Amino acid sequence: MSIVSPVPPPEVPGARVEIRVGPAGPIPGPLRFLSRALRTLWSNRKASIGLVILGLIILVAVFAQLIAPHSPTATTFVPYQNPSATNWFGTTGNGQDVFSQMVYGARISLLVGIAAGAMATLVAVTIGLIAGYRPGVIDELLSFMTNLVLVIPGLPLMFILAAYLQSRSVWTIVLVVAFTSWATGARVIRSQASTLRTREFVTSAVFSGEGLFRVVFREILPNMTSLVAGSFFSAATAAVMAEASLEFLGLGDPNTVSWGTILYYAQQQNSLLTGQWVLVFAPGLAIAMLAVSFTLINFGVDALSNPRLREK
Amino acid sequence: MRYVARKVVLFLVTLWAAITLNFILPRLMPGSPVDAALAKLASSGQTITNAQRRAVEIQLGVPHTSLITQYWDYWTSIVQLNFGTSYSFPSETVVQTIGKAAPWTLALVGVTTILAFIIGTLLGVYAGWRRGKAADTSVTLGATFFAAFPPFWLGLLLLYVFAFKYGWFPIKGGYDPGETPNLSLSFLSSAAYHSVIPALTLAITSLSGWVFGMRNNMINTLGEDYVTFAEANGLRTRTVALLYAARNALLPNVTAFGLSLGAVVGGSVLVEGVFSYPGLGNLLYIAVVNHDFPLMQALFLVITVAMLVAIFIVDMLYVRLDPRVRQ
Amino acid sequence: MRRLSPARSMMICAAAMALALVGVSCSSSSNNGTAGSGTLTIQGDAGNPTLVENFNPFQGSQLHGTNLIYEPLEIPSPIDGTYTPFLATGFKFSDPKTLVYTIRQGVKWSDGQDFTPADVVFTFNLLKKYPALDGRGVWQQINAVSASGNDITMSFSAPNVPFAISIAQTEIVPEHLWTNMADPTKDPNTKPVGTGPFMLDAFAPTQYSLKKNPTYWQADKVAPAEVLFPAQASNQSTNQLDVVSGKFDWSYNFLPDVKTTYVAKDPAHNQYWFPPGGTIGLYLNLTKQPYSDVNFRKGLSLALDRSTIALKAVNGYLDQASMSGLILPNLKKWLDPSLPDQGNVKQDKSAAQAAFAQAGYALQSGKLVKNGKQASMTIVMPGNFSDWVAAAKEVVNQLGSVGINARLDLPQYAQYSQSIQAGTFDAAIGGFGGSGDPYTDYSLALSSTFATPVNTPTANNFERFKDPSVDQALATLASATDPAAQMQATYAVEQVMFNKIPIVLMYYGGSWGLFSTKRFTGWPSATNPYTLPTSYNNSLLTVLTRVTKA
Repeated sequence: MSIVSPVPPPEVPGARVEIRVGPAGPIPGPLRFLSRALRTLWSNRKASIGLVILGLIILVAVFAQLIAPHSPTATTFVPYQNPSATNWFGTTGNGQDVFSQMVYGARISLLVGIAAGAMATLVAVTIGLIAGYRPGVIDELLSFMTNLVLVIPGLPLMFILAAYLQSRSVWTIVLVVAFTSWATGARVIRSQASTLRTREFVTSAVFSGEGLFRVVFREILPNMTSLVAGSFFSAATAAVMAEASLEFLGLGDPNTVSWGTILYYAQQQNSLLTGQWVLVFAPGLAIAMLAVSFTLINFGVDALSNPRLREK
Repeated sequence: MRYVARKVVLFLVTLWAAITLNFILPRLMPGSPVDAALAKLASSGQTITNAQRRAVEIQLGVPHTSLITQYWDYWTSIVQLNFGTSYSFPSETVVQTIGKAAPWTLALVGVTTILAFIIGTLLGVYAGWRRGKAADTSVTLGATFFAAFPPFWLGLLLLYVFAFKYGWFPIKGGYDPGETPNLSLSFLSSAAYHSVIPALTLAITSLSGWVFGMRNNMINTLGEDYVTFAEANGLRTRTVALLYAARNALLPNVTAFGLSLGAVVGGSVLVEGVFSYPGLGNLLYIAVVNHDFPLMQALFLVITVAMLVAIFIVDMLYVRLDPRVRQ
Repeated sequence: MRRLSPARSMMICAAAMALALVGVSCSSSSNNGTAGSGTLTIQGDAGNPTLVENFNPFQGSQLHGTNLIYEPLEIPSPIDGTYTPFLATGFKFSDPKTLVYTIRQGVKWSDGQDFTPADVVFTFNLLKKYPALDGRGVWQQINAVSASGNDITMSFSAPNVPFAISIAQTEIVPEHLWTNMADPTKDPNTKPVGTGPFMLDAFAPTQYSLKKNPTYWQADKVAPAEVLFPAQASNQSTNQLDVVSGKFDWSYNFLPDVKTTYVAKDPAHNQYWFPPGGTIGLYLNLTKQPYSDVNFRKGLSLALDRSTIALKAVNGYLDQASMSGLILPNLKKWLDPSLPDQGNVKQDKSAAQAAFAQAGYALQSGKLVKNGKQASMTIVMPGNFSDWVAAAKEVVNQLGSVGINARLDLPQYAQYSQSIQAGTFDAAIGGFGGSGDPYTDYSLALSSTFATPVNTPTANNFERFKDPSVDQALATLASATDPAAQMQATYAVEQVMFNKIPIVLMYYGGSWGLFSTKRFTGWPSATNPYTLPTSYNNSLLTVLTRVTKA
């Protein structure tokens, strides 16, 4: 598993050129912005596939109650059954319906992916902006911290944090994942911010007396939207994979139903032994598809800003 | 020279920071890991000496002692390689347990990285050269897809098909039972045989870093002037791609190596657990499942330091290979 | 002509090397570790992650094969207590405080020296000298050991006839070697010399092997020429997959759906036997309200549907347990015939409510309430004991349907053990019985000598049950040499178990024996239940001196 997006950060800072460069002006309405972004993404073939997959998963999660034929936690069925008419994916060792678990499990997996991704991006943006905009001691310190966290292998650090924390809830996982995944994004954002810092429109804003916050949030940040988006999708990909790993180890909340916990119980109750390979195949494939969708969308985001990577 | 000096200083400072982080972590956590560890040691059935208890406290936190004293004791114990006793393996010291497992992970991670580097780089060259065509799309989509596989999941599937159902490969272990680790051919071949599926699992899931790194490098390089010049001189595109572009784009991508190594090390924890492969990853798996804090502490330190050293070595190699960096 | 790029040539080299290694190993591994005929392979000890060499029979961490190297005086069957003689040919109580064993003659140690009663005396005195080795607590019961002729005589401080079971199982070690041992409490005894049917052949970190002792006193009854113990992995699922792959003659592992996953793989040879090995019960902290009220406990007992609990917990392999405390049908001969339905209690919710009413509780809109508060319960057990957890989840459901708000607490084993020993728990899942002897089972769970105050740890009777009539019955049982008197005393305890419900027993925990008759037959089974199929204790010795070549 690559804990970071397979698209590495650009080698030469400043090679990435946002479409709109220059004084930002009033930020366009979020809705218009979003729709324009989606349309541009959609034109990229890889991103459109990703959007479709993600859309399907979101639909399943939202309409879980309508789609799932049974409750995911009721232990009313015969255990260890192969797929049948009543249980399309078979049953677990506790007598639960696996198909319903898969449907409801989409909620937690999506939630963790998006929440952890968002939190990691938030931290990355904050640190990256501060480091990029303020050269000197602060920058050196923050860059050093970023590099340190980057070097430490993320997954082992996550396991240890989760093991120490002892509390078993989905939010523990979100926190642990966010805490370990912000570094890549921070590095990218910092380098872009430090490039933009020297641009004329920023210097002119500073000279015209704009305060620090306005400069950062109204001048620099809007020119990095695709970077932030890219960072978000990378972090979300990493979060989905990390959640699966943490649940598989039993570090998650065994009372919730997510794709990761289905794999955990499949291992504990040895579904491979009973020949119920669906219990291993289905949740893993679902996790992979969710991660793939984020990565594909990320391709589109990347192609938006780096013309060299655009499809001809 | 300045580059080297800078890198060395950075390495030392990062090393210090990582070790300090390892010191801080258990002392920050709620629920007192040291109490839990000592309780478990007590109930492990072995007699635990006071020296062993003290060693565990130094690693995890001694109540009612100043942090400075603890920090000093911590560094002393690290230099003496005294990490205490793990209660999952109470009959030997943590250092002994880790010492036995380390070579296995080195071998697995080393082989996997080489495999992934070779296959990934070749695929990346191919995809970058054939940009925009069907070949490129299939390689990039394939690499993306495989990168999204949780490694332990792929491991389980390969285990099921190749080891359990068809019995072509062993279900568990690093070598045949009955063999003793030594340098005999029968041991080495048994070890190689047992490492095939775990290495394959890790290699497949860590390919994409190399593929994309190489592909992007190729794309950038192909835009360079000297390539256009070579093409203008009439050299065929394939010659250009392989002899000129690929060679220059092949310069070890240090960042990619660092990230990929991190991915392989991280993935190895669960993959080794699934295959009961006797490496550090399996130890960490056992330690986490058993809430064995002394072992976790030591493993985290060992893994982090190893990563740092590996990246430092590659950094130094990069100096030799890329003259542009030397100024 | 195209030159091969360095990368490409590197890859070809690597591939060729890999293929060569795999090719060599494929042929060699098929010879490595497979059994010749006459080799019996047992799924061995758990590696940690590799095996630690220790054949010291008195240390808790010894390898299982130690049971085949050293022999005790006699082995009682854990199912019904019948004795199989080994180094002793018989025993008797000349009076309730004097136990006499007759020692077998003509036995040799595996190094050629003669085995004599002096070795027996030495062994017991060794346990006295080093109390850390006295795991069975022998010297808390006896005060002297002596030999005369072929007899060993032991004097008890107080009459304790059933304790002979523990004494009989003490492994005997050679005086001529152990006298010189510097510290037997730490010595791993890596060159073991015993009287048993097997001797140590080779030890490797992932497997050890024993070979047949040619001078064994009943060598003609020992069929295997060699016993292999390949280590288990720390990953339980992997061990289960290993079992099913067919390389073991005897393994001990819970397998889900065993008929499909194991028997069907080789119906002619694969067999399983999952007899009850102990009872799993819901322990209530009797120092707390409302658990101290027998009516509340009665209500709890009547509210449970034990056969469903058994179904969820052990997959239907075993059934509900008798509230007499006896494992049935193993210990049927001890059962008090006046107990209704052999002591089995079926779910009866209305009777449960009547009992709760006696305890002052009333059912109000689905909740069982007293003084305005709903009855609640926290049940603690180790989180990784999956069958206990499954049972407890079902208990929570069932108690919920009679209005009790129950929840689970799933810590690590160490915390669980601490809280039950200290008596700070609310309710807990735990094991009861399984020694094959009613006195031992009852006294460990019910004798008030173990019931320490809360916060003083005790490993036995941690629910802190105190009843002088039970203590009296146990004392009678301890000193009775007449079978009729023993029966009556046992019946009295059973009545207390049934009527006073110190523990709410639920279902039988299983002993997961898996066998293959491809190379050896004569394994213990339902039709031949001569011992429990446990491969980690002295059942090994019982079984391996009985199996024959297929």
